Amino acid sequence: MEEKDNKLNSPMARRDFLRKCGALLAGGALAAVGGVLGTKVSAREGEMMWQIDPEKCLQCGRCETECVLPVSAVKCFHANQVCGYCDLCGGYYRANVKELNTAAENMMCPTGAITRLFVEEPYFEYTIDEKLCNGCGKCVKGCSSFGNGSLFLQIQQELCLNCNECKISKVCVSGAIQRVPVSQGYKLKDHA
Amino acid sequence: MTTLIYPLVARFPKPDFTSGYQYPEIIHGMPWEQFWSWLDLAILLGMMCLVAWAVHRRPSRRIIFTVSIVSVLYFGFFRTGCVCSIGSIQNVVLALADSSYRLPLVVLLLFLVPLVFALFFGRVFCAGVCPMGALQELVNVRNFRISRSVASALGFSPWIYLGFAILYAATRSQFIICRFDPFIGIFRLSGDVGMIVFGISLLVLSVFVGRPFCRFLCPYGALLGVVSSVAIRRVEVTKKPCINCTLCHNSCPVDAIREPYANKGGESRLVGVRRIILYVVMLPLLTLGGGWLLSSQSDTLSIAHRDVYLYTLLQSDLDAEEMPVEVEAFHEMGRKMEDLEASVADVRQAYHAWAWAAGALIGFVLGWKLIRLSVKRTRKTYEIEPSSCVACGKCFDYCPQNIGVKK
Repeated sequence: MEEKDNKLNSPMARRDFLRKCGALLAGGALAAVGGVLGTKVSAREGEMMWQIDPEKCLQCGRCETECVLPVSAVKCFHANQVCGYCDLCGGYYRANVKELNTAAENMMCPTGAITRLFVEEPYFEYTIDEKLCNGCGKCVKGCSSFGNGSLFLQIQQELCLNCNECKISKVCVSGAIQRVPVSQGYKLKDHA
Repeated sequence: MTTLIYPLVARFPKPDFTSGYQYPEIIHGMPWEQFWSWLDLAILLGMMCLVAWAVHRRPSRRIIFTVSIVSVLYFGFFRTGCVCSIGSIQNVVLALADSSYRLPLVVLLLFLVPLVFALFFGRVFCAGVCPMGALQELVNVRNFRISRSVASALGFSPWIYLGFAILYAATRSQFIICRFDPFIGIFRLSGDVGMIVFGISLLVLSVFVGRPFCRFLCPYGALLGVVSSVAIRRVEVTKKPCINCTLCHNSCPVDAIREPYANKGGESRLVGVRRIILYVVMLPLLTLGGGWLLSSQSDTLSIAHRDVYLYTLLQSDLDAEEMPVEVEAFHEMGRKMEDLEASVADVRQAYHAWAWAAGALIGFVLGWKLIRLSVKRTRKTYEIEPSSCVACGKCFDYCPQNIGVKK
């Protein structure tokens, strides 16, 4: 405490001076970073969210296992506008099933998340129960191999934790997971 | 708006329903992301003001403790961590390195606000606003002091971590700070085994050692430490004169309070000055050496990038049966080998440049730390070292000079 009374060229005055220089330098550096990036920030675009590009997705199955959530935030979405409403659905039944009934061994979905409803001869409406879906993408693969490709995987935003870096995106084999502005909305398949 | 995506072949025609069937209207829920992130920022700002006030105007540990609990509950368990100031380093680096990356305004502010506060008031962000620091603080029961030499050596590791985080973020390889975040698994009550084990062991460690993550790992804490070492208002144990009672020194969880030091005896002044001159000469050499060392390894490091990884997989001999999914996908997507090679060359070039930068940073900090360690100063009283002090305020209640000041 007494040092403050010392003459100007005392160590304390020198340290104080150095510290002020340092503060100026640090402040300048922060202002520079803020200035440079301030011009770049996407205030207009607003927030970003993680989305799968359904066109790129290859259903490798990693969405099911790599998400940080216990049950993946990736869910199967269904584009009814694209669906053929087939009875023999490649996403609903496994390939080469003997009998078209709903026995578990015939079902493509391992969790029973796909239900179907008879609409009229010969059409069936398919619905995904998101609570059961684990995002494995087996039905998506079936549908895009044998059907119209109306089933696709997408990141359900109500579940997604919006990690700073999506863990699935780092192991996605096709680089299909990207950040898109929230204002763009979901990447869907069913816009007519 | 959303791009139109149709399957390449519509194998089955659109059904023409005769029963008057209507397509169901499926609405996929959207979160209030905009709302939440701004609310987070507002709460962060409010908490920081509160802590700055509690530290500087009204020395009070109780307020900081309350803020810690709120932070762990809100930022930790409720908001589950993302995006945070520590991780925002990577977003900022990426935005500086890659102009095509769009940095959200909130993330920029999350990066800048704690640093600006540190410039004015010291590390008030660490005090209790950061949920990771707060969590470690709350479980810290017994504080075994680590020897100063070990602590200084370990205190260098955040800079290595920061260097690699910059390297991997700038090259769009990985956000390692997020990937190896120890406490996010605890906050989310889920995560892979490694993450949970790391988190829990660090938490157990912080029962006995104050804030191990903040002191020996956190790269943002390293930045805050630099800024707060030149802070305009320093954190003080007491406004009254120190009576050298040693109580604050014993209470400090991060060992930031230095005891009085006579700086006499030992070596002659000339030896000390010579050592400092040597280190000052070594500073540019260490900087260049660090850059050279890391950049010489840049090709090996670049395997963290997705394209380089894929390229090395393609180069290696593969069993047709055990084809990695990456290679299958490469063929399935019909990507051209030339494109991949061009991309790999670009990535390796970027790696070389950024490894220079990261290595130079690490080398410079090493040199700087050596200089700082050899500058010995006389202290007549107990003094807070501002770069280590996390402004937790534990010392306030221990200082006998503060009795009666609060009420």
